[in-house]
Amino acid sequence: MTTCQECKNFFPLEEDPNRGDCVQRVKDPRQAYYQAKPVNAEDDASACASFQKKQQ
Amino acid sequence: MAQPALKDTRVEEFEKKQEWWWAAEKRRSGRLDYLRKAIWKKGAIGGLYAPGVKTDLEQAVLTTNMAKALEGSPDPYVVKSAKLFAHILDNKTIFITDHAQLVGYTGSLPNTMNWNPSIASILNSEVFNDPISIPEPVDKNQAVIQEIVDYWAGKTDLDKMMPVFDMDDLMKMLSGSIGWGVPLARGGYSNKDYEYIMTGKRGFQDIIDELDKKMDEIDDAVHEPTANKEIAMMYDRLNNWEAMRIALEAGIRIAKRYARLARIMAENFEEDPKRKEELLKIAAACEQVPAHPPRNLQESFQYDIFIQMMSRTEAIEGAWPCRPDYYHGPYYDKDVHIDKTLTKEEALDLVGEFLIRAAEVCQFKPKWAREGLQGIDGTWVWTMGGVDEKGKDACNDLTIAFMQAARLVRVANPTFAFRWHPQVKDEVMREVFECIRHGLGYPSIRNDPILVSNAMHWHGHPIEEARLWVHQACMSPNPTTKHGYQPMRMANATANCAKIIEYVFTSGFDPVVNMQVGAETPDVSTFKNFEAFFDAWVLQMRTIFSILVRSVNRARLLAPTMTPRPFLSGLSERCIESGQDTCDPSIARGNAWITAFTWVENADSLAAVKKLVFDEGKYSLAELKDALAKNWNGYEDMRLDFVKNAPKWGNDDDDVDRIMLRCLDACAKFSKELKCPCGNNWPILPENVSGNIHYANIVGALPNGRRLGDALYDGGISPGPGLDKKGPTAVLKSCGKIDHVTQGRAFLLNQRLSPTQLAGEKGFQLWKAYMRTWADLGLDHVQFNMVDDATLRSAQKDPEKYQEVIVRVAGYSAHFVDISRKTQDNIIQRTVQGLG
Repeated sequence: MTTCQECKNFFPLEEDPNRGDCVQRVKDPRQAYYQAKPVNAEDDASACASFQKKQQ
Repeated sequence: MAQPALKDTRVEEFEKKQEWWWAAEKRRSGRLDYLRKAIWKKGAIGGLYAPGVKTDLEQAVLTTNMAKALEGSPDPYVVKSAKLFAHILDNKTIFITDHAQLVGYTGSLPNTMNWNPSIASILNSEVFNDPISIPEPVDKNQAVIQEIVDYWAGKTDLDKMMPVFDMDDLMKMLSGSIGWGVPLARGGYSNKDYEYIMTGKRGFQDIIDELDKKMDEIDDAVHEPTANKEIAMMYDRLNNWEAMRIALEAGIRIAKRYARLARIMAENFEEDPKRKEELLKIAAACEQVPAHPPRNLQESFQYDIFIQMMSRTEAIEGAWPCRPDYYHGPYYDKDVHIDKTLTKEEALDLVGEFLIRAAEVCQFKPKWAREGLQGIDGTWVWTMGGVDEKGKDACNDLTIAFMQAARLVRVANPTFAFRWHPQVKDEVMREVFECIRHGLGYPSIRNDPILVSNAMHWHGHPIEEARLWVHQACMSPNPTTKHGYQPMRMANATANCAKIIEYVFTSGFDPVVNMQVGAETPDVSTFKNFEAFFDAWVLQMRTIFSILVRSVNRARLLAPTMTPRPFLSGLSERCIESGQDTCDPSIARGNAWITAFTWVENADSLAAVKKLVFDEGKYSLAELKDALAKNWNGYEDMRLDFVKNAPKWGNDDDDVDRIMLRCLDACAKFSKELKCPCGNNWPILPENVSGNIHYANIVGALPNGRRLGDALYDGGISPGPGLDKKGPTAVLKSCGKIDHVTQGRAFLLNQRLSPTQLAGEKGFQLWKAYMRTWADLGLDHVQFNMVDDATLRSAQKDPEKYQEVIVRVAGYSAHFVDISRKTQDNIIQRTVQGLG
């Protein structure tokens, strides 16, 4: 199973690497921004349209 | 250094043509221009949200999932409430917009409207049925909404409260004929104890430390070898304190999440060194506040935004009581004048962005609220100017910066209300005037000495506290002090006053909702003289006001246990000290008021009946009753007689002005009989927002010649549109006959002035002379529209070209193109007063 921690959008918390933020760049019709959503490192990312494999 | 968006020689040309919106676009910095255009317009247009603006399902899902998880928890309800709140803050999506220096939003994404499903099922149903705002894919999300709606049915605040209200009162209130809003502690207008939290003395961590100390003390006390009632009650205090701590800790955590995002952006994505530095500054600010007191202007604004965002996570807020120049002013002074860490231009950028952050705030509101507040999400009336607690002029350089920033970003919400007093310097008045002249419709002007006296008269606030007042909603002053601040003004004590006179003719039966709502006064045709007629009016007034006030009183008493607000309590000295909820009436002085919508129709109608029925005997009451029941159909000549030949308020005509004063006296007397749970009074406050349009099809024909469906007067003590025929001084003289201290809590007056007449220095001097008369006559409020008919009619014809034209609707401003045609026409119909 592909997990969030394998994605380059995943930024683990220093104090707890099992948790982190999915940080993404978004452009909507009026503005551009970065968004952060809390996720777990082991969350299933296999159906995630934003998944981008982290470079080793 | 802030740079103008675009050097453009056409600026002066735009200003000459009074196309202020184009001039502003050219004058503001590139940052402000980007952020201003980035706003998703959230105010409803014709009662519907704009395309692209979507209901935020994230908070609703988080709330519902957590509520389910807590179902089996032994936690007391207040602690569960705090845990729900914390769960949202810990898990919501956050974002930082390009060029932004301030962060924090109520929803998860910029185009979303926050939806809290735990407050009212009637609101949840509207989310489900909304034709526009359900996010894509609609089918899937409608199923998600359905599940949330089903879960909360019977569990929301209002669902729980309804069975414990007087059902008779509740039915009348919810019929929509006499009241507006619902009696809920988590749905209305929250003032805050800004003297406790916004004076740089403490941040959330300091309060948490204080709470820990309190809890340790009580924990020791309850385990002493004794037992009594006080000890039994201490457990409730411990629960409240625990809940406050949970809420405040969550507040610190979400700020740190923003700090982390800013750092991630700076370290991983941003290539521009200047923007990188800004992001690191945002991170530093969010690590500092709200945990600790702010150190500079940016942190002070950031602290305020966080508090507002969190308060709107806990409750639906319809207003934004605050005094930003007063509380943030010392930081402006420090940064710009003392430390010189900010240039004036940079500070102006921050001020402009602070306005923009507020302008984009939105929570999903029911349709009746959207119709009553066309074009905006709520009445963010920010208080400016005024005096300090010692009575000295409190205007500062930030007051001026706010006026200048408002002209650059030109948002319709927030608006300002300026506390005028005799010490205000000309330089500040000029800035205020320029905002009005630029067609913003704000600031409204408030008479500070009158309103300080008024606060002391009606609610017994000590003078030092009365001087620290802010607008709790559009109009009503409320101190920001320990015992003075009112945690929640529940909007349903908002009376549709035109029903008072209507019910005199129907013996209290409401033909629109088909039920007996008012008092069963005798058949109007039996009244032999005006005194008997007026007595019936008084009884209808007392009946309507009582129904509305009883509901609020009941809700306020039940709020601490049934609908607690641990976050708001955690910002309040009296709650930290006592361990009681912010709504607990035993620790508040009370600051209730009845908003009187559609008020002036009463004076004009009573005057018409007195003159044409009783004094001249031209018509009988039976005839008039029949004419009104038939909506004047078949009685057009008679109707015109009532329109043209009866005296009208606002013309310095004692015949009608005396009746207005008599009505207000009757209300003022009754206001002191009505008591809130704090033991304080319920004065009336005539104003309208856009209730004059909302109620057009709910109020029947009236003796002032109005037909069912016609717009009502624009409200407060403003004369009927076009009915003030004797000039601005006559309007002021009529309004000046009212005692603005003892006859009510505040009185809204709309006036239209000519932008051409008031151009330049001469215009400023003319306006100042007008304002001197206004102050001398002791009026407490006035606000101006200064956009000419030609521009407004052009905007009706070609709305795309006039998207940025702003008008004063009532206690708020809105973009002209966002309000209904009926409201637009109503504004155009208002008399343009020539001064001088």
